[in-house]
Amino acid sequence: MKTGMIILAGGVGKRMGQPTPKQFIILAGKPIIVHVLEKVELLTEVERVVITCPPEHVGKTRTLLAHRNLSGRFCCIEGGETRQESVYKGILELGDCDSIIIHEAVRPFVTTEEFQALIGSEYDNVIYGARIPFTVLAGHDWVEDTLERSSLVNVQLPQKFDAAALLRAHELAREEGRDFTEDGSMVFHYKTGAVRILEGSEKNIKITEPTDLIIGEAIYSEYVLGRTQDS
Amino acid sequence: MKTCIITGASQGIGRAAAVRLSNDPSIGNIVLIARNEAGLEATKATMNTAETNVKTIPYDLSDLEGIEALVKGVYEEFGSVDALLNIAGYAAPDALLDTTIDDIEKTFMVNVFSMIVITRECVKYMRNHPSKIVNVASTAGVTPRPGWLTYAASKAAVISMSNTLSSELAEYQIKVYSVSPGRCATELRRKLAPEEDPTTIMQPEHVADVIATLLSDDETCLDGQNLIVRQMPTVKR
Repeated sequence: MKTGMIILAGGVGKRMGQPTPKQFIILAGKPIIVHVLEKVELLTEVERVVITCPPEHVGKTRTLLAHRNLSGRFCCIEGGETRQESVYKGILELGDCDSIIIHEAVRPFVTTEEFQALIGSEYDNVIYGARIPFTVLAGHDWVEDTLERSSLVNVQLPQKFDAAALLRAHELAREEGRDFTEDGSMVFHYKTGAVRILEGSEKNIKITEPTDLIIGEAIYSEYVLGRTQDS
Repeated sequence: MKTCIITGASQGIGRAAAVRLSNDPSIGNIVLIARNEAGLEATKATMNTAETNVKTIPYDLSDLEGIEALVKGVYEEFGSVDALLNIAGYAAPDALLDTTIDDIEKTFMVNVFSMIVITRECVKYMRNHPSKIVNVASTAGVTPRPGWLTYAASKAAVISMSNTLSSELAEYQIKVYSVSPGRCATELRRKLAPEEDPTTIMQPEHVADVIATLLSDDETCLDGQNLIVRQMPTVKR
C-alpha cells in the first residue's frame, strides 16, 4: 500500500490582516506550517509528501524544509488558482499511489495519532468530522430553514482517499466546471467511493482569524507541551 | 551511546567538563572544539579515554559559515548529537568610553553569535529524541559589572537565549539550561580580575559537577533555569 500526502499551503493571509501568509506566521515559536511538517516527518508510512503553495512562496517553503533536513520525501510545487486545482495538481505530482492523505498547512494541532488512525482505517475514504456545539440555520439576511445540528458535522482535515476514487472525482468536477470546498463532499457527490467519518477533535483548529492565534497558543501550551506557562 | 559536543574545551570550565563527563558511562563520545589545538590535546590527555571516544576538532567558531559542516561531520561520524555544552567564551573588559568596535564584535561573535549558530546546527540532529543543551553564562549577565560592559551584555544575551530556547525546543524533547558561574579560577577570570588569587575562589571542577548533574537522566525539574553557581566565602567568626 503506497500512501502519499498533499499539504495545502495556499494561504495569502487576507483574513489575518497581515502581510505574511498565514502558514508562515509564527505560532508557539515556529511557522504554522512547520508544526504540520514536523508531525508528518514522523509518519514513516507516508512515502511522499507534496506541498502546494502560491509560486511566490515556493522558495520560502523549500527553505523551511531544508533548515529541518526535510528533503527526500518532501517536495514543494506551485498550487493552482483554487484549492481544488491545487489538490488536483498534488494528485498528479504524487503519481503512482494507492492512497492519498490531504491536510492543510494551517491546522497545526493535528496529531500523529490522528494521521495514523486514517492510515490504519479499514475504509478507503475517511474524513474527520467534529460535533457542532452551536445552532446552525440556513439563510443570509433572513432565516430560510432550520437545520438539525445532530445530523451535521464540522468537516476537518486531514482526510484520506483511495487515490483512484479521488482522481476520478476531480476529473468529473473538472468536466462539469464545478468547484468544491473540500474533497469528502466531492467524492460523495460523484459517488466514486463511500466516505467514512471519524470523530474529529476540537483542538484541531484551522488558523483563520487573528483570534485563532491566541487560541492556538493556549492549545499548544496546554495540550502539546502539557503545561501552563508560568507568569 | 550518547554523543556530547563541548566548545571551549581547551581550558577552564570546558576542560573540567570534558574530564568530568569522560567518567560518565552514559556518554560514549565526546567531541572537543576550540581554536587551541595544543590545549585540546592537553584536555584529552587528562580525560578517561578507556571507555570514551574523544575527538578533538581545532576550530575557530567565529567562522560561522563552517559550523554547519562541522556539526554534520560529527553526526555522520557518531550517529547522533545528544548534548551540547556551549562553554567557549571571550572577554575584553573595558569602560564604555574605551570600548572599541572590534571588542564589541569579537565578544558578541564568540559569546553569542557562534553559540546561536552551533546550537541551530545541533538542534537539526537533536530533534525528536531527548537531548540537552547547557550554555555557560556568568553572574555578570544578571548583575551590574562596571568596566565589563560587552562581556556582561553578551552573557545576559546567553541567559535570555537559553530561556527562550527552553520553550521553543520543549516540543523536541530538548532541555536547555544556562549556568552562570560566579568567580571561578579560569584563564578568562584572570583577564577580568588579574589581581585575584585563583586558589581562593571556585574551581572549574565545581562548575563541571553542576553541568554533569544537569546532563544526567535524573535531572527532570530544572529545564529553562539559569543556575547561579558560586562558592560562598568561608565565614570567619
